[in-house]
Amino acid sequence: MDHSTTDLSNVRRPIETANGLPNGHYIDAGIFEEEKQAVLFDNWAGLAVAADVPEVGDAVPVTFLNMPLLIVRDKLGHVRVFQNTCRHRGMILVEEPRKIEGAIRCPYHSWCYSTDGRLVSTPHVGGPGQNTHDGIDRALLGLIEIRSHIWMGVIFINVSGTAPAFEDAHADLLARWSEFDKPLYHGGAGSSFQLEVNCNWKLAVENYCESYHLPWVHPGLNSYSRLEDHYHIEAQGRFSGQGTLVYRQLTGENGKTFPDFENLSDKWDTAAEYITVYPNVLLGVHRDHTFAIVLVPEGPEKTVENIHLYYSAAQTDPDLRARNTEQWKQVFAEDVFVVEGMQRGRHGPSFDGGRFSPAMDGPTHMFHDWVASQLERHRSAPQAAE
Amino acid sequence: MTNLDRDLLAAHAAGDTSALVALYAQAAEAANNTDQAAFYLTHAHVFAMEAGHPDTPALRQRLIDMGRECPLPAPNPPLR
Repeated sequence: MDHSTTDLSNVRRPIETANGLPNGHYIDAGIFEEEKQAVLFDNWAGLAVAADVPEVGDAVPVTFLNMPLLIVRDKLGHVRVFQNTCRHRGMILVEEPRKIEGAIRCPYHSWCYSTDGRLVSTPHVGGPGQNTHDGIDRALLGLIEIRSHIWMGVIFINVSGTAPAFEDAHADLLARWSEFDKPLYHGGAGSSFQLEVNCNWKLAVENYCESYHLPWVHPGLNSYSRLEDHYHIEAQGRFSGQGTLVYRQLTGENGKTFPDFENLSDKWDTAAEYITVYPNVLLGVHRDHTFAIVLVPEGPEKTVENIHLYYSAAQTDPDLRARNTEQWKQVFAEDVFVVEGMQRGRHGPSFDGGRFSPAMDGPTHMFHDWVASQLERHRSAPQAAE
Repeated sequence: MTNLDRDLLAAHAAGDTSALVALYAQAAEAANNTDQAAFYLTHAHVFAMEAGHPDTPALRQRLIDMGRECPLPAPNPPLR
């Protein structure tokens, strides 16, 4: 398929008459590659969480959209993201998660890098026992660092390096949730889980953005959180999602609850909000915990969802944490048949991207519109010529 | 094969970086000429850097003094 011909004009119409993105944007390998650049590399995409490298020297290799990356917490405690590739002969530097005690040594010819990416040794590069050479300028040969930013515990990366600073790109979202701009404590190993879903990553976003499906797919919520208790969150071109007015805290058998984040305004006594930070990070905030879901696209029809729960204190009740994890696991598992079903549905050749409820699907259409805008920007740029 | 050779092979096989630092430094001391000494010191230094060994700065300085290495560059701020 010639992906440059996909017509996005219907997507960009007002919601009352708009269609969703055409099938190819969910099933076509060429369009997946196009979106990789236009949507994921050119913006601040979620990669992982800072809790993946909790201690100085921790190094975790990951593959993101076929790129070999290395997440490192350097000697000063900064989280960094590098290409996991030696500048000498392109060897993969770190194969498994491990602690870097001193330097990162390439297993091939032992070129060494500090945890902040500097090339600090090039053994025998000038001949046996001669470790410098005029032709090898170490200052130009440090690890290739990917621009990164940590927010709400998530490591965001801008692969192209062309996006505005994260604080500028997401200024209004940072302001909206400024009350949660305080230390978040990852709940530990039992507060992370992973779902592998057979769908395009965008379908997970689309489902997350709207509350329309809640009474049908999550009937357990009906008992206290009715559809009319929810509201849309819509910031055109930046983020979208939904909120609820009746969040109810999880309560243990002895009446125990998680401690609240400090100094929250009254709104958060009963409110909770669920927002997609475009493109691929799903966040939820509540008075007593937050969560982050990082969607890792593994191909046009496969996505890994990495889910992490955070609390307001380092020490919280372990039983309650386990129950909270289980509760969210159940909710997110209930969504799997939906996103996988929508994926299979997109192999129907006459499907036209579908329609949106003008009343209920605004946040989802907003995401479609944003994806289309990124593709149009990319297609109109000179470097888009292929 | 000398005892030192055997010990080095064993340390490599075991991935015993601390032993490699000590043994390559020992090999440098026993070297017959400066080039050979620099070769072994280079290995001692590399494994010391990898392990965060306390002898790393001294080993590096010896190589610098021999004209075989250069000082560490200044730290890099994170790319944000």
